[in-house]
Amino acid sequence: MANHIEELKNAIVELEADKVISSVKAGLEEEANPMDMVEGLQAGMVEIGNRFAKGEYFLSELIMSGEIMKNAMALIEPKLAGLEQEYKGNIVIGTVKGDIHDLGKNIVIMLLKGSGYNVIDLGVDVPAEKFIEAVKEHEAPLLAMSVLLTGCQDPMKDTIKAVRDAGLNDVKVLIGGNYIDEKVKEYCGADYFGTTADEGVKVANQVFGA
Amino acid sequence: MDINIACSNKFLEDFDVDTVVGPTSLWMGGIHDATGARYIKFAGRELEPDKQFQFQEADYMKADDYDDFIENPTKWILTTYLPRQHKEFEDPYRAHLSLIKGAAGMAMNQGMLEEAGKRWAKEYGFPMSQTGMTKAPFDTMGDTLRGLTGIMMDMHMQPDKLLAAMDVLVDHNIYYGMATAGGDTTLPLFMPLHRGSYPFLNPEQWDKFYWPTLKKVIEGLWEKGKRTLFYAEGNWTPYLEKIAELPDKSIVFHVDTTDMKKAKEILGGRFCISGNVPNTMLAYGTPEEVRDYCKKLIDEVAGDGGFLMDAAGVVQWDAKEENIRAMIETTREYGVY
Repeated sequence: MANHIEELKNAIVELEADKVISSVKAGLEEEANPMDMVEGLQAGMVEIGNRFAKGEYFLSELIMSGEIMKNAMALIEPKLAGLEQEYKGNIVIGTVKGDIHDLGKNIVIMLLKGSGYNVIDLGVDVPAEKFIEAVKEHEAPLLAMSVLLTGCQDPMKDTIKAVRDAGLNDVKVLIGGNYIDEKVKEYCGADYFGTTADEGVKVANQVFGA
Repeated sequence: MDINIACSNKFLEDFDVDTVVGPTSLWMGGIHDATGARYIKFAGRELEPDKQFQFQEADYMKADDYDDFIENPTKWILTTYLPRQHKEFEDPYRAHLSLIKGAAGMAMNQGMLEEAGKRWAKEYGFPMSQTGMTKAPFDTMGDTLRGLTGIMMDMHMQPDKLLAAMDVLVDHNIYYGMATAGGDTTLPLFMPLHRGSYPFLNPEQWDKFYWPTLKKVIEGLWEKGKRTLFYAEGNWTPYLEKIAELPDKSIVFHVDTTDMKKAKEILGGRFCISGNVPNTMLAYGTPEEVRDYCKKLIDEVAGDGGFLMDAAGVVQWDAKEENIRAMIETTREYGVY
C-alpha cells in the first residue's frame, strides 16, 4: 500500500490529473484502504503548499491541484462512509458580511483540507450570528475570515467583537486577504492574519499544535 | 444615476484635483435592472445603497463551449451566454423585451453620463482622465467567461482552444476600446488588468497565455493613436522587462503593489507612471503618514516628470477624507518644479 500512497502523492504534486484518477480507480478495485489514498493525496497537497510558499508553484498550480483533489475525493468519498475520519481539528471559515468574494477563501480551504483539517465553509457575505452559531456547533478552536474589500473592515471588527461578546473567548481568529497587515489585524482585534494561502495553513498548524 | 453623478459633482466641488475618472460608481443600472443581471450586485439593489458594486464570478462559459465561441462569438453570446447570466432570459418573450428595455436604459445612462462630463468640464474645468475601456484577452476569458478555476484548468487541459479563443478576442478588444471611447485618442483608455499579476501564473504560462494577446491589443490601439492606461492591479514586478517591450509612450503604467523603484528604473522616461499610494493607508493611516508617503513618491519617482499621483487601487468608501486631502495637498505643495 505504501507505494500507492507515494504514487498518489507524486502524481498530484506533478499535477498529473489522469494518473491521479487512474491510480485512485486502481486502488479502489484492489480494495485498498481509502484512508491511505486520502493520506497520499493530502501529503501531496502539503508539498504543493510548500512549493507555493517557496515561490516554485503559482496560483495556477494550486487551483489545478485543488480540482484534481476534488475529482479524486469524489471517487474515494463513497468508500469513506462509516469510517472514522481523523481530523487535526475543526475550522470555521467564511467571507465577511458585505463581501461576496470567494476565490481566495476557496484556495485556503483546499490547502487546509489537504493538510487534514475539517473545514466548515459558511460561504460569502456571512453575518456575525452565523459565524458564532457554527463555532459553537462544531466547537471550533479556530475561526477564519476572508475579506477582499478594504471597506469591509468594520463588519470584520464587529464580527470579532460579537464572537467575544458571545463568550467565545478561547477561539482564535484568523483574518485573511490580500491587503491585510498588522495594522488591520490590530484594528479588527484578530489573533492572526495571513495574506497568502500557505500562511493560513501555517497559522492553523500553530493553533492546533500540529 | 442622478445620485451617482451628484456624488462626483460634490467631489469636484470639495476637492482640488486635476482630473476626474467619471461617476463614482457603475453607471449601467438601467440595463442591469431591465435584464435581471446575475453576474453583478449593485449598490441600492442587491447591496446597501452606500456600498461599492461587486462582481459575481462563475464559469458562465463552460469547458465545452470553446468551439461554438470561436466559430461565432456574437451568436454564442446571444444564444448561450446571456441566458445564463440574466434572469429575464428564462422566458424568450421577456428576453426580447429585456434587451429592448436594457438598450434604451443603457442609452439613457450613457446620455446622462455624457451630459455630466460636459458639465464637469464646463463648470469645474475638469477634463476626464480617460475615455473608454477594454481588457486583456486573458482577462476577458478569465474574469467574465470561464472564471478563475475554469481558465486555470484550460491552460492545462485545452491550451490550444484557449489560445484560439484569445486570438479571436484581439480585434474585438481593440474595437471595443475605440468604440467605448467614442473614437477619442486624446485621453488614455482604461484597461484594468487582473490575472496577469503575480503570483497567478507561472512564468511560462505568463509568456504563453497572458502576454502575447495583451501586447497585440495595446499595439493595435497605439497604431490607432490610442494610449492605454495599463491599470496593473496587484504586483507586476516580475514582468516589468516584458512590459518595457511596448512602444514608447503607448501606455501609462499604473502601480498598485508593483515595486515602484523597479518600475521607475525599467519603465521610467519611456512611459508615464501613476499610482501607488496604498489604499489601506488612505483608510487606516494618518494624514502625516500619507504626506510622508506622497513626498517620498515625488522625490523618488516624479523628479523628472512623467508621474501622476493616485491611489494604488480604486478608492472605496472607507477612505478617510483627511487622508485624501493630505494626498492632494502634499502633491500641490511639494510636487512643483
